[in-house]
Amino acid sequence: MYWLSKKRYKIGFLIPTLVVYSVFIILPIIIAVSYSFTRYSGIGKAKFLGLDNYIRLFQDKLFWISLKNTMIIFVLAFVLLLTVAFLIALLLNNRLKAVDASKALIFSPAIIAPIIVGIIWVYILDPNIGILNNILEAFGASEMKQKWIGGEFWSPYSVAIIYFWQQLGYLVTIFIAGLKMIPNDVMEAMRIDGANGFQEVKYVIIPMMKTTISTVAVLVITGVFKIFEIVQQTTGGGPNHLSETLVTYSYSMTFTSSHYGYGMSLATVTFLLSLIITAIYSFLTKEKER
Amino acid sequence: MVKKKKKTAMYIGMILITLVVVFPFIWMVILSFKSNSDIMSSPLSLPKTLNFDNYKNALKTLDYLQLYRNTVFVCVISVVFEIIITFLSSFVLSRMVFKNSKILKMIYGFLIMGLSISPFILLFPVYKINVVLGLRGKLALIFIYVATSISFNTLLLVGYLKSLPTEIDEAAVIDGCNIWNLMLKVILPMTKPVIATIVIFNVLYIWNEFPFASVMLRDVSDYTLSMGASFFKGNYTVDYGGIVASSIMIIIPELIFYGIFQKNIVEGMTAGAVKG
Repeated sequence: MYWLSKKRYKIGFLIPTLVVYSVFIILPIIIAVSYSFTRYSGIGKAKFLGLDNYIRLFQDKLFWISLKNTMIIFVLAFVLLLTVAFLIALLLNNRLKAVDASKALIFSPAIIAPIIVGIIWVYILDPNIGILNNILEAFGASEMKQKWIGGEFWSPYSVAIIYFWQQLGYLVTIFIAGLKMIPNDVMEAMRIDGANGFQEVKYVIIPMMKTTISTVAVLVITGVFKIFEIVQQTTGGGPNHLSETLVTYSYSMTFTSSHYGYGMSLATVTFLLSLIITAIYSFLTKEKER
Repeated sequence: MVKKKKKTAMYIGMILITLVVVFPFIWMVILSFKSNSDIMSSPLSLPKTLNFDNYKNALKTLDYLQLYRNTVFVCVISVVFEIIITFLSSFVLSRMVFKNSKILKMIYGFLIMGLSISPFILLFPVYKINVVLGLRGKLALIFIYVATSISFNTLLLVGYLKSLPTEIDEAAVIDGCNIWNLMLKVILPMTKPVIATIVIFNVLYIWNEFPFASVMLRDVSDYTLSMGASFFKGNYTVDYGGIVASSIMIIIPELIFYGIFQKNIVEGMTAGAVKG
């Protein structure tokens, strides 16, 4: 309404939000990027280095290991979550007794603190006290016992599984919301035409759920680049940084080793990478729709 | 009878999936009643008696009342503060007329942009900014929690406020309402459902938040719940029983909270995702 759109109201009401947002979200990004061009140990003044940190980063073996681990987690979690969550959504979208209770329980890992998610899984995957290895042993399959966490190979795969457990119910719920938006008559028409379940999914459900599927995909992409507590609790990035992801590596460089400048260049690259992958994904799916 | 068979298969699937997802929780509860040495020497065994020692030990090591008090303190101040400022700004963005509508869109886009910003790039800079502003301990968390909620709140509030018809404003003004009365007595009550969703969603976020807390909080007396959860590690010996008991004491109130506000929590988490 024009009458109440006085300038002083507009400015007065917008300013608190804009100030907090600018000082605590926008300014920090500028600061992070500026520090990424310096050497700074927390004491004294930061020393300008130009692009040195970025050159160092590309020669840093641990950066590539973290990148590789992040990509393993990403690919595995992406494939598992998109397919399994979708299938479970198809199942739970049926009229079953107690289906709401089941949905609520499956959702629950998404609401507890991620740090506790990490703790819980230590008791399952720990090579010595974890239930998985002990069950394998009890069933006489000792040769299958692995260092699921804290070893050199399995950690990123385990992190992907833990992340899968954490996100499953959340994504199932989003998929179910998408399924509910498909008009009933479309499904009925399909059934009258004699389509079987598989055809229904392939020719009706998936094409009609394109937006939901992309939403879930983008959530998984951005989500993987925010996994932190799970790695921190299960392996702490070890042994010798071998299970580090980009986020935990930049955290440990910044706060444990006090290489603030280098840490910020890692954080910047990680952030850009997640934006780029999201952009590529949206570009690819848009192309297909045309 | 094919249909019946199919239904049975569906039930079996549903029950199996639910059990697999819930199992880690159940396992935690079982472990919490085992002694530390039992957890290490015979990991698969079930506790013989209900042994509350782990809980007693955890309570002795950490002041949970303090953890809860700190978390509630940060939660209440941040959430009240963010609701006030984002309600005001969203009111402008959704119900006021701009001569140049491009400015409106720009401000909105600017505020929504935050949804794609990872918190990890903010950790160190925000720590620095807090040092410059002299914010320490619990207080150092408040502004960043408010700031990270702005994009989400703006998205939900502007979307909802736009859906309320403008005739409401006109009628209120004709009846002699000034802008404050219109906002607080007419529009705000109608916005309750979204505000409920926002409050619950953000309380949960702050409750669970770890990265910022781990950077800003130095003193144990300032610790929030998620920091308390990570407290037991880092001692020379890992107190497995203590960790489990302490985690359960943090999870249970959270699960009760989830039980009560399930609808709003699910709504908040999916609305933010689908619209964003």
